[in-house]
Amino acid sequence: MKLCVACGMPMEGDGDFPLGDRSKDYCVHCARPDGSMQSYEEKAQSLAAFVARSQGLDPGQARKAAEAMMGRLPAWKAAR
Amino acid sequence: MLTEQSVIIQGTKRSQQKAATRETILRSARSLYAERGIAATRSAAVAQAAGLAHGTLFLHFPRQEELLVAVIEDFGEGLCRRLHELSAGGRGLRACLEAHLAGLREVEGFYAALLTEAGHLPEAARLSLLMVQSTLSWHIAAAAEAGMEAGTIRRQPVHLLFNTWIGLVHHYLANRELFAPGALVLERRGGELVEHYLGLVSTGDRIEGG
Ligand SMILES: [Zn+2]
Repeated sequence: MKLCVACGMPMEGDGDFPLGDRSKDYCVHCARPDGSMQSYEEKAQSLAAFVARSQGLDPGQARKAAEAMMGRLPAWKAAR
Repeated sequence: MLTEQSVIIQGTKRSQQKAATRETILRSARSLYAERGIAATRSAAVAQAAGLAHGTLFLHFPRQEELLVAVIEDFGEGLCRRLHELSAGGRGLRACLEAHLAGLREVEGFYAALLTEAGHLPEAARLSLLMVQSTLSWHIAAAAEAGMEAGTIRRQPVHLLFNTWIGLVHHYLANRELFAPGALVLERRGGELVEHYLGLVSTGDRIEGG
């Protein structure tokens, strides 16, 4: 099974891929509306916002968590 | 004779063997963490339990912290797979909660030790646990929001809905000797927790079903 290089999500169905394009290594949640991959900053912000919203973490802690998660994913290893 | 194919086959065997050794190490570490506690488990004991030379363990995990992180990630990957399979079928909040408990039941002793010792563990380990929680919260939030749209789940902030569930489960795990001495607490009490929690968050129109 393919894992999104940018967030680690398992990608199986066409709906998991940006614009249904199965050749992509990143998932629909890590893509911009035009299908290109989000930047490090875009992904860090959306991930931090998600962590804060779904778990109620302090924004600073949520950002730290988002960056740590991204640091373990292939797409962002070099970005840190 | 070493044909190109036999070299490839040998290479595959070696990497399969490496993966099997890694698997054995993770399993041994997990049960020692559960028995003795995480901080109290030395890598020499893990090597011995896995039937390996200390040097072999060191090749796979040069630092104790890396071994702990790998055990947490291994648990997280299993849980993530379960949840993803469910969400692909859109099976709702009940199915997410049951998948969560099923994932925890497999590693109950280790997870309880992780909770008890979390404050003193290396930051990398705490972040790994947070990553597992984030994956879980993603699925629970998605299922809960679908239930809110459908009118089966009461509208409420998602983080409180999530933390109420986690608080309940963690309380039973952290005090498992009180709730189920000598037994697996989630096996004995898990069903009760799911029913109670769904009763709390549901609108009452219809209990969120599978
Ligand atoms: Zn992704």
